[in-house]
Amino acid sequence: MKTKILKEIIKRNSLKEDFAVLTNLSTGNSEIFNSKKSLGNEFKNYENKIKNFYNLKKNGIIDGTQIFILNYIKPVEVIIVGAVHIAQYLIDLLKNFNFIVTIIDPRKYFTTQQRFQKVKIINEWPNNALEKIKTNKNFALITLTHDPKIDDPALSYALKNKFFYIGALGSKKTHENRCKRLKEAGFAEKEIRSIHGPIGIKFGGKSTPEIALSIVAQLVSETNKILLNSKN
Amino acid sequence: MRECKINYFLGNNLNECMSETILKSANSWIETKKKVVLATVIKTWGSSPCPIGSKMIVNEKGDFLGSVSGGCVEASIINECLELIKNKNSFKKIHFTVEDESAWSVGLACGGELTVYIEQIN
Repeated sequence: MKTKILKEIIKRNSLKEDFAVLTNLSTGNSEIFNSKKSLGNEFKNYENKIKNFYNLKKNGIIDGTQIFILNYIKPVEVIIVGAVHIAQYLIDLLKNFNFIVTIIDPRKYFTTQQRFQKVKIINEWPNNALEKIKTNKNFALITLTHDPKIDDPALSYALKNKFFYIGALGSKKTHENRCKRLKEAGFAEKEIRSIHGPIGIKFGGKSTPEIALSIVAQLVSETNKILLNSKN
Repeated sequence: MRECKINYFLGNNLNECMSETILKSANSWIETKKKVVLATVIKTWGSSPCPIGSKMIVNEKGDFLGSVSGGCVEASIINECLELIKNKNSFKKIHFTVEDESAWSVGLACGGELTVYIEQIN
């Protein structure tokens, strides 16, 4: 592989774009491919097969060829509302899984640089903050403040915009009240039930890192479900 | 070769190993004038642990990062990468099976098979 290609992969990765790297296993030459780019001489003859693998996000040696394709997919985005202690552990865990993370919290004393490094923080109310982000159904929302005036607008936004994962921290009682409020706000029973609340898988822990781990476990499990569904 | 189902791995969003960390490290090794070989899993059969696209990098000192098999064939990959650098070759395909004696010796205990493609970055 040429150093030029390596640098290009790193650059495109940082732009969070969809692309693929093609390698001719008999010549050793590589090339970057996306739907906008035309193929070079070594790969042109297999255009249809390459596009088929690319569209299905399939990785591997393309049947009947010596071409290896590896897809780089735009990562899933996770919005965390509440720059609280659990958020600090979440960020540590999430960085191992190639998610793009944004934290939203209007409370300045929580969102200090010293508490959160190398993560995008929006120090505004969720409504304003979410409007600035172009969201789609490949987004996940985790609310952690259990303060209705901060969490509820974010939950409403995520439900309306069909986020694939919505989880809300809070006790069973807190969640019951939250569901009531969302019902009053006009959301259907089914929509409200799609919220994971109380958030996280159950494994009996109560400490901050344990809660963070239980949230990440649930998020990863749900993410794997949509990734598989979208490709079948 | 055994009759065993070939796995096609669909793009794995959550595999951080596949993308940024390893490639950025490769780039910084190159910038410090080290010779770097990139190893990528290109084909797997049966229960091979690391999916297609999993990566590992090796430099001429034998330092390595990443993984292609969860520990079973890494030592062998390092040697192959060092050979590639020494012989000034640009790429090679290496296949590991359970019947393969070298694979036994490095212990591909999972019963899977895999092909790893190694290439110099230059």
